[in-house]
Amino acid sequence: MFRAGKLAVAVTALLALAGGFVGVSAAVASQPQAAVTGETYVIGTDTTFAPFEYREDGELTGIDMDLIRDIAANQGFTVEIKSLGFDAALQALQSNQVDGVIAGMSITDERELIFDFSDPYFDSGVQMAVAEDNTEITQYSDLAGETVVAKRGSEGETFANSIKDEYGFTVKALADSATMYDDVKAGNSVAVFDDYPVLAYGINQNNGLKSVTEKEQGSSYGFAVNKGQNPELLAAFNTGLAELKSNGEYQTILDTYLEQPAPAVASGFFGLLSDSMPALMKGLGLTLLATGLSILIALVLGVLFGFFTVSASRVLRGIASVYVSIFRGTPLLVQAFFFYFGLPQLTGQSIDVLTAGVLTLSLNAGAYMTEIVRGGIQSVDPGQTEAGRSLGLGYVTTMRRVVLPQAVKIMTPSFINQFVMTLKDTSLLAVIGFAELTYQGQQIYAANFRTGETLLIVAALYFIVINLLTMLSNKLDKRFNK
Amino acid sequence: MSKISVQGLRKSFGSNAVLKGLDVEIAEGEVVCVIGPSGSGKSTFLRCLNKLDELSAGTVIVDGFNLNDKTVDLNEVRQHIGMVFQHFNLFPHMTVLQNIMLAPTELKKQSKADARATALKLLERVGLSDKADARPAQLSGGQKQRVAIARSLAVNPDIMLFDEATSALDPEMVGEVLQVIRDLAAEGMTMVVVTHEMGFAREVADRVIFMADGVIVEEGTPAELFGNPQQERTQDFLSKVL
Ligand SMILES: Nc1ncnc2c1ncn2[C@@H]1O[C@H](COP(=O)(O)OP(=O)(O)OP(=O)(O)O)[C@@H](O)[C@H]1O
Ligand SMILES: [Mg+2]
Repeated sequence: MFRAGKLAVAVTALLALAGGFVGVSAAVASQPQAAVTGETYVIGTDTTFAPFEYREDGELTGIDMDLIRDIAANQGFTVEIKSLGFDAALQALQSNQVDGVIAGMSITDERELIFDFSDPYFDSGVQMAVAEDNTEITQYSDLAGETVVAKRGSEGETFANSIKDEYGFTVKALADSATMYDDVKAGNSVAVFDDYPVLAYGINQNNGLKSVTEKEQGSSYGFAVNKGQNPELLAAFNTGLAELKSNGEYQTILDTYLEQPAPAVASGFFGLLSDSMPALMKGLGLTLLATGLSILIALVLGVLFGFFTVSASRVLRGIASVYVSIFRGTPLLVQAFFFYFGLPQLTGQSIDVLTAGVLTLSLNAGAYMTEIVRGGIQSVDPGQTEAGRSLGLGYVTTMRRVVLPQAVKIMTPSFINQFVMTLKDTSLLAVIGFAELTYQGQQIYAANFRTGETLLIVAALYFIVINLLTMLSNKLDKRFNK
Repeated sequence: MSKISVQGLRKSFGSNAVLKGLDVEIAEGEVVCVIGPSGSGKSTFLRCLNKLDELSAGTVIVDGFNLNDKTVDLNEVRQHIGMVFQHFNLFPHMTVLQNIMLAPTELKKQSKADARATALKLLERVGLSDKADARPAQLSGGQKQRVAIARSLAVNPDIMLFDEATSALDPEMVGEVLQVIRDLAAEGMTMVVVTHEMGFAREVADRVIFMADGVIVEEGTPAELFGNPQQERTQDFLSKVL
């Protein structure tokens, strides 16, 4: 659909140029852009960057979401939102898998080389916040001798570092907003430097902090299309944005997320439990899916390479031993990053997060499975093989009927163990944005700031599932491996 | 023609020369007992006869098959040669009956029903009809070894190799296993029996071979070898074990 749209636009643009109607587009600037009317555009966004995009009761909401939907309505086109994660959304835009990206994205010189940006729709900036009951810190000069916290690699960290010598404080870097706020509330740091909208939204959600200084001037956010693509969409966005600003809708959206304090619905533990369950169950489903797929593939790899390790061929033994030492000798996290971010760069082939995750886990677990299979086969008394061979049974038959049944019995407890390990390892895939159980938990406390309770629920879910599966496996083991 | 013909057989493990040139001819129906001190290469010699160990040099011709011939199907050869081990090596995950039926059915020699009938007959022959459905772990050592013999016989071999079949047994169980071997001898089975049981060797052997340090020191009828050993080393060995 949108491909045909682009073609139409290209033709229109050519005609416009050829016919010398260059002035026309300026003339219609305050009216709906005819070229986009009735079209459907696919828009990529981040998974969670409150208050710009996040999920509430499973629905995508936030400033970006309200803005793009209202602009679409205003300009008469339709949007299909894809919640991809920030990096994935940018990749998708570059490869024209989406038509535009709105994801709380700062307009930077580097990005302007590869994307075309709309007019800025939001001025961000860094702001400081302290614990609600803190009356001592009211300005930067009160920070002398104290520790503050900022998000690693963010504008907040850059800003805090730029003034720390002047005011004599220390900067500690943490990975995400919820953790930073907890750090301040716990008194480990006295203040946090974070993006103004994120901070304002957190305060608005009763996260236990307050801001005491004005925000520092910072970058601006823009809506992006791929360089040279979808110019009519960009124009429509700009026109719609201008209209929303003039009719007050724009301010209403901002106020909803940044100014009006949310009704303090501290819903209690069971409220949290029931609110978070749908998302957590979805996460659990993905956790089990990734575990199941990975274990199956790992089993195949383990049996294959396990046989290599006990084969007479030096080449096969060598291959197996290289495979095992690579995947046992590097951290799972590094492997996950490599498959998700590194491999696409090397091959030019983008990879979806489930595939990358399953690839990582199955290759990793496969290495351990290989060792389990090798250990199992080698622990069977060599006399068993000799008896089989001396009866005239070939290598394969001896393996199949004599060695393997005994090896499998020896291996089963280790298999069950590996299964549990792999299930737990899926939680590491949260770092590449795989929406499994841990990730869902992080999303939830990123929005409601109830870190402890949310993690308790997540841990309990893992605990229950793992113990149920272990019990089931042991039952099966007893039944089949008498 | 010899049933087993061994010429210039040498076997080394790395630099360790274990067999240093053996020449043996064994006729059909002959029972040959091999005796000798520990480490002299008796087991290695047996294992070369069905190529569980590779030969380093020399020729071994068994039942007309030249083991050096690459085109010879070893699995086929091994079906002509039964082997019984010191530690039984029964398959612990199978019942007694399944142990015996495995080779005939896997090798498509017999239908399941036929294999079963044969197995039951063999069990009767070794006196264990009532143990058909038992697991190896439920048997005594002597019973295990008798099952192992039955298992070897199930593929209907022409030759049987015994490697200290009674060494791992409690004394009171040795007799029952020797009896089975004795019966086989009486039926005319060609056998090579490595044993520490000198009395048994004297009784059933047509010929006794004394090995030491990877060579055959002396061989002869039991009467010759036990009654009038020619070599000093033989005399030495016998004086210690008799
Ligand atoms: N697979 C092997 N690898 C290396 N050396 C071996 C191997 N098998 C046997 N040997 C060596 O060969 C020599 C002879 O062993 P063998 O088992 O044939 O002796 P044996 O006469 O059967 O002794 P025993 O009466 O103790 O059974 C020993 O020194 C042993 O260490
Ligand atoms: Mg031996």
